[in-house]
Amino acid sequence: MRADKKTKALAKQLFRLSIVNGTVSAEQVAGVLGWIEKTSPRRPLTLLKAYHHYIAAELARSRAVVEHAGPIADATLKMIEGAMTKRYNRVITATARSAPQLLAGLRVRVGSDIYESSVAGQLAALSV
Amino acid sequence: MSNVIEQIEQQIAKLSTKAVKKNTGVIRTVADGVAKIEGLSDVMYNEMVQFPGGVIGIALNLEEDEVGCVVLGDVSQLKEGDEVSTTGKLLSVPVGKALLGRVVDALGRPVDGKGPIDAKESYPVEKIAPGIMARKSVNQPLFTGIMAIDSMIPIGRGQRELIIGDRGTGKTTICIDTIINQARINKVGLASGDKNFRPVYSIYVAVGQKQSNIVRTIAALEAADALQYTVIVAAPAADNPANQYLAPFSGAAIGEWFMENGQDALIVYDDLSKHAVAYRQISLILKRPSGREAYPGDVFYLHSRLLERAARLDGKGSLTALPVIETQAGDVSAYIPTNVISITDGQIFLETDLFNQGIRPAVSVGLSVSRVGSSAQIKVTKQVGGKLKGELAQFRELAAFAQFGSDLDAKTKATLDRGSRIVELFKQPQLNPVAIETQASVLWALQKNYFDSIDVKNIVVAANSLKDYLTTRKADLLTKIRTEAKLTDEIEAGLKVAADEWKATFAAK
Repeated sequence: MRADKKTKALAKQLFRLSIVNGTVSAEQVAGVLGWIEKTSPRRPLTLLKAYHHYIAAELARSRAVVEHAGPIADATLKMIEGAMTKRYNRVITATARSAPQLLAGLRVRVGSDIYESSVAGQLAALSV
Repeated sequence: MSNVIEQIEQQIAKLSTKAVKKNTGVIRTVADGVAKIEGLSDVMYNEMVQFPGGVIGIALNLEEDEVGCVVLGDVSQLKEGDEVSTTGKLLSVPVGKALLGRVVDALGRPVDGKGPIDAKESYPVEKIAPGIMARKSVNQPLFTGIMAIDSMIPIGRGQRELIIGDRGTGKTTICIDTIINQARINKVGLASGDKNFRPVYSIYVAVGQKQSNIVRTIAALEAADALQYTVIVAAPAADNPANQYLAPFSGAAIGEWFMENGQDALIVYDDLSKHAVAYRQISLILKRPSGREAYPGDVFYLHSRLLERAARLDGKGSLTALPVIETQAGDVSAYIPTNVISITDGQIFLETDLFNQGIRPAVSVGLSVSRVGSSAQIKVTKQVGGKLKGELAQFRELAAFAQFGSDLDAKTKATLDRGSRIVELFKQPQLNPVAIETQASVLWALQKNYFDSIDVKNIVVAANSLKDYLTTRKADLLTKIRTEAKLTDEIEAGLKVAADEWKATFAAK
């Protein structure tokens, strides 16, 4: 069931309360979940799903997923972390994920942004 | 073999491994030609987005949590979870003379089966209209070849003249006749070698029409050898509403290329009523708030920003627009018609009653107006046609008394006789535009009472006979009228001789 306007607005408000100093606070999230359980607001499942969606999107903005085809050194990961933190002006943590379909090179995803430096990506760009 | 390996390794080493940044999103829903996308945090309004499989779309709704994109292509290939990326570009279409003689869709892709178009440039579909200081006043005529229009409702290059009427009243016919006339003038002008001659290229935008109608239009232009100076932008009724919404803007972009490159162009939007309906459909699917008659609140802006792109530029060319609006039961006070009337520089109103009476083109002289007026007429037309509107107005006033026949005074009878002859003279078959010099000659003959002794029911035959006589035997005189563009004593003397000779032969038959 899609969230209606009121449920969306409430989820958004709870999301804003969960942000401390620009990052998602685990304590605040726990507090929000406890409040939902205690007060049982209207359409709790839809509310939780919408809240989950906002929190996941915010966490994605603070996480750099580094997809790599071959082995990747820790130093490379640290370098990417530093570059992204500087670019986005907030703390970004880099996590590595193996993706053999890239053939070679890297693909870094931060939120909606993708930094494509893989062979598969360049081949896909040529085919369009 | 090791040489080959070295070559490949050298090639690999040369390859640039620069990272490319793209902004992406994920399709959440696809329905009715619109995709709702989550992500795309950097997308801009009207930006082109890339779907999988080479399908493109335009971002039209930038909401807090999702982006609404209109899909310009095959929606059936898309599914939830597909990745979409921004392109950083606005939608653009190929422009240039390579499009002349071709039929393209709303995105500028050829649909006539004559192969790819070798266009060197492309222009954005959406563009801000030229400002005030870049413009020049409209004072060059654009001849439609239709006597009723060129003499009483003259159109100038850079003007926007609305053609409005019910279904089946001859709106498209006026547009096609105008395009054919431009082609004829172009051929004569280019053959004359006159360095000051400026050809007019035409763009016909078909929105929401039956494909059979578009084919018929193309055939008519081909038969008149006018297609070589024309670009056809086709967005038929079978096309998705997004293409029908874009087609007029694509046509305007094509016309702007001619205007920006010092040439003159004419664009016909046939018709903007269907364009507004397509835009309404897209807006409702995007859940935009609806207003009067369920049209979105910015439907005025839809047409105003389109029509403002037609202009005459200082030091460059011009783009003349002939938008078409279809009314229902003659209601010109409906929403879309009143919007477009207020935007354009005049309107040509076609009435069903006149059409049914056999008066074709069914131009209502009383309700039609050109806000540019005689500034866009050559001197000879002003000299011979200046009084026509007044004479027809008097005729309409007195027409109710026509039934009393012999009970009228001589002056009233004379007014009625003159008016009925003018009405007959302005009847013209379709796909047969008349050159301005021939029009001027026929109107001169009318003003000098050469038609007064001819019965009203024979006026059409007489006028055709005079036109044939002048084109076959007095071609030099017609050329003189065309080049000098005014009635000199010498030309008047020539016309008198020609008219007397013709009258003698016509009376003898």
